Amino acid sequence: MDRRTALKNLALVIGSAALLPRCTEHNPVTHFKNFDVTNDQQSLVADMAETIIPKTGTPGAKDLMLDQFVWLMLDDCTKKDDQKTFFKGMGEFNDLTKKTYNKSFADLDKKQKEDLLNTFEKKSNGYSKELNGFFSTVKGLTVFGYTESKYFMTKEIVYELIPGRYNAWLPVKNNIAAKNG
Amino acid sequence: MSTNTYDAIVIGSGISGGWAAKELTKNGLKTIMLERGRDIVHVKDYVNANKAPWEFPHRGGRTVQMEKDYPVLKRDYPLNETNLDYWVNEKESPYVEIKRFDWFRGYHVGGRSLMWGRQSYRWHDVNFEENAKQGIGVDWPIRYKDLEPWYTYVEGFAGISGNRDHVEILPDGNFMPPMEMNCVEKDVAARMNAYYKDHDRHMIIGRTANITKPLPGRTNCQYRNKCWLGCPFGAYFSTQSSTLPAAVATGNLTVRPWSIVTKILYDKDTKKAKGVEVLDAQNNKTYEYYAKIIFLNASTLNSAWVLMNSATDIWPDGLGSSSGELGHNLMDHHLGVGAGGTVEGYEDKYYFGRRANGIYIPRYRNLHNEKRDYIRGFGYQGGAGREEWGRAIPEMAIGGAFKDALSEPGEWTMGIGGFGETLPYHENRCYLDKNVKDHWGLPVLAIDATCKDNELKMRIDMANDAKEMLENAGVKNVQTFNSEPVLGRGIHEMGTARMGRDPKTSVLNEWNQVWDAKNVFVTDGACMASAACQNPSLTYMALTARAANHAFEELKKGNV
Repeated sequence: MDRRTALKNLALVIGSAALLPRCTEHNPVTHFKNFDVTNDQQSLVADMAETIIPKTGTPGAKDLMLDQFVWLMLDDCTKKDDQKTFFKGMGEFNDLTKKTYNKSFADLDKKQKEDLLNTFEKKSNGYSKELNGFFSTVKGLTVFGYTESKYFMTKEIVYELIPGRYNAWLPVKNNIAAKNG
Repeated sequence: MSTNTYDAIVIGSGISGGWAAKELTKNGLKTIMLERGRDIVHVKDYVNANKAPWEFPHRGGRTVQMEKDYPVLKRDYPLNETNLDYWVNEKESPYVEIKRFDWFRGYHVGGRSLMWGRQSYRWHDVNFEENAKQGIGVDWPIRYKDLEPWYTYVEGFAGISGNRDHVEILPDGNFMPPMEMNCVEKDVAARMNAYYKDHDRHMIIGRTANITKPLPGRTNCQYRNKCWLGCPFGAYFSTQSSTLPAAVATGNLTVRPWSIVTKILYDKDTKKAKGVEVLDAQNNKTYEYYAKIIFLNASTLNSAWVLMNSATDIWPDGLGSSSGELGHNLMDHHLGVGAGGTVEGYEDKYYFGRRANGIYIPRYRNLHNEKRDYIRGFGYQGGAGREEWGRAIPEMAIGGAFKDALSEPGEWTMGIGGFGETLPYHENRCYLDKNVKDHWGLPVLAIDATCKDNELKMRIDMANDAKEMLENAGVKNVQTFNSEPVLGRGIHEMGTARMGRDPKTSVLNEWNQVWDAKNVFVTDGACMASAACQNPSLTYMALTARAANHAFEELKKGNV
C-alpha cells in the first residue's frame, strides 16, 4: 500500500467516522417497543400517508397524524416477522424510488409521488411480495386510521355516540353518510 | 345460626344464576350468590361504555400481546380491545382440549350476561319431542306447556323486543315492540316470504333482550350497538341491569365475589347437600357456607366441574354421576356457515342508528314430514347494511377523490349465517384432568367433543339454502361460506348434566333437581337434554324461574 492510498483510506475512515455522528444527528432514531425508526423512515411513511389521504379542502394524513397511527399499529398489532417484512419492503421501496426517479420519495413532486404509489394499484406490477406488502400495510392502516379518526367520524360522516333512535329508511344526499360500524 | 348459613346458595351470577337469586329472594329466602370472579358494578364499572371509537388506541383491534395472552379467545371475534377485561384470564384458568373446543368464558359478577348476543327465542313442542321420537339421547321430562307460562313471565321481566310473527315453530311471546328492519331487509324479507309462502320459510326481525320501552330503572335501547361494553342505560338484559337489582331490593341477597365453589358438601345421612366449600380466590382460604337449597348455575362446563368434585367419597366421579351421564352429551350450536351477496339499487337510501339486532329465519327443515339426510334443523341470523364506496373503486385508490369517496355510502350487502342443532352424543364430554392445575391448584376440565356426520350433512344445506333463499329474494353475487365446524364457537354450551325421566340415564329430574341430592338444582345450560337451534338463554331463564319457584314450594312443604 503506498502512502497516497493509505492516506486516502485514512481519510475515508476519518470521513465516515466524522460523517456517522453527523448523519445520526441529522437522522435521529425514535425508539418504539419493537423497533427503531429513523427520521427519514418516519418522513417516508408520513409522505406516503399524505399522498394517499392528502390535505385538500379538508384535513390530510399529516394534519390527522395518521403516520403515527401507522407506526403504533405496526408496533403493537403486527407480528415480529411481519415487522421485518415491512422494513424489508420499505428498503425496496426506497430502491424503487431511486431507480425510477433518481431521488428519494421526499424529493419527488406531488404528481411523481402519486404516479409511483398508483403503480401499486396495478395487479401485475411485478413487485416483490415484501414491496407490495409494505405499500398495502401503509395504505391499509392510513385509511383505517382516517375512517376511524374523530375528524372523519364527526365531520365527514354522522357519528353519534348515542343515536337514541333507529331510522330504517333514511334518504341520503351525495356526501352524507351515517356511520353504522 | 352461623353467619355462614343461609336459606339458599346460588353458585354463579350469570343469566341463570341471576334469575335463581331473583326468584329465591323474592320468595323471602335469605340467599347468598357466590361468584368466582370480581365484582362489576352496574354502570360504574362499564369503563369503556362511553368511549368514542377513536378513543381506543388501536381502534378496537387486537395487539400481538393480547393474542399471546388469550390463545383461545383470539380464535374468534371476542378478542378485542374494548371489553378485554370481561373475558377470563386464560393463564390462570386453563383447560385441556382433547379436540379443539373454543371455550369463551367470563369470570365476574354477571358472567356472560354482560357480553351475550341477546337473541331470545322460545322453543316449540317439536324441540321437546324429537329426542323421544327419534330415539336420540333421553326424552325431555317436560313439554312446551310446562315452560310456556315461565317464558311469558321471564320475557315480561327481562324485556324482550320482538314481533308477533305467527310462525308456528317459533311461538310468539310477551314482547315489547319490535325493532325495525332497514329498507333493504324489509324488501328482501317481503320477496323471500312471498317466494317461500308455501314452504313455511320466514324472515323476521330478531327477537332480542334489548328493551324498546323503559322498564323500572332501565332506559329503552339507544341504538348504540355497544352492548358488550355494558350498557349505561341498562337497555339490554343482564344480571346487573335486571335480576340483580331486583334481588338486592328484597333485602335478602348477599353477593360474594372472588368465591370459587370447589365442591358441594353432601350429607350421606340425609342424602342431601348441606352446603358448599368455597376457596377465596384472593386470600386462598377455604370457607364453608350452608343452606337448605343450592342452585348450581356456574355455566354448563363449570357446573359439571363442581359436581365432579363433589361427594367423591360416595361416587368417585362426583355428585350426579350415578347415571354415568355427568359431563357427557356436551352440545353447542354449530355455525360459521351461510351466504352473503349484494343488493342492487337503494342508492338514495340509508339508515341511521346502530341497531344491536338483525333478522332471523326460523328453522324450516325436517318439519311437516320432510326427510333430509340428517335430522333436526337450523335457523339463520343476518342483516343488510351499506359499505363505503372508496374501497371498491380501483381507479380511485389514492388521493383527494379517493379520500372524498371514503365518506360516501357504498353498496348494500345482505348476509345470513346459520345456527345448527348439535345432537347429544354420549362421547362428547368433559372430565377432570387431575394432572393439570389452575392458578389455585384445582384440577381443570378436559374437553373432548366434535361435530359428527349429522352436523356435517346439515351444514351443506345451511350453505346451499342460504344461497338459494338470498338469490330467490333478489340478492346478487351470492357467495357461500362454510368454515371448519368447531364446537364451543357458538358459545352455547349445553348438556353436561341433562334432565330426564330416569335416574339411570339422566342427572336431573323434571324440576332440575339432581336425582342423587334433591336439594341441588342445576338450571344453566348443563340441564339441556337437546340443543334445538334457537339461542338458548331465554330457555335457561324460564327453566330457572320455574325450578326456583318449585324449590320454594318444596321447601315450604318440607320436601327438600
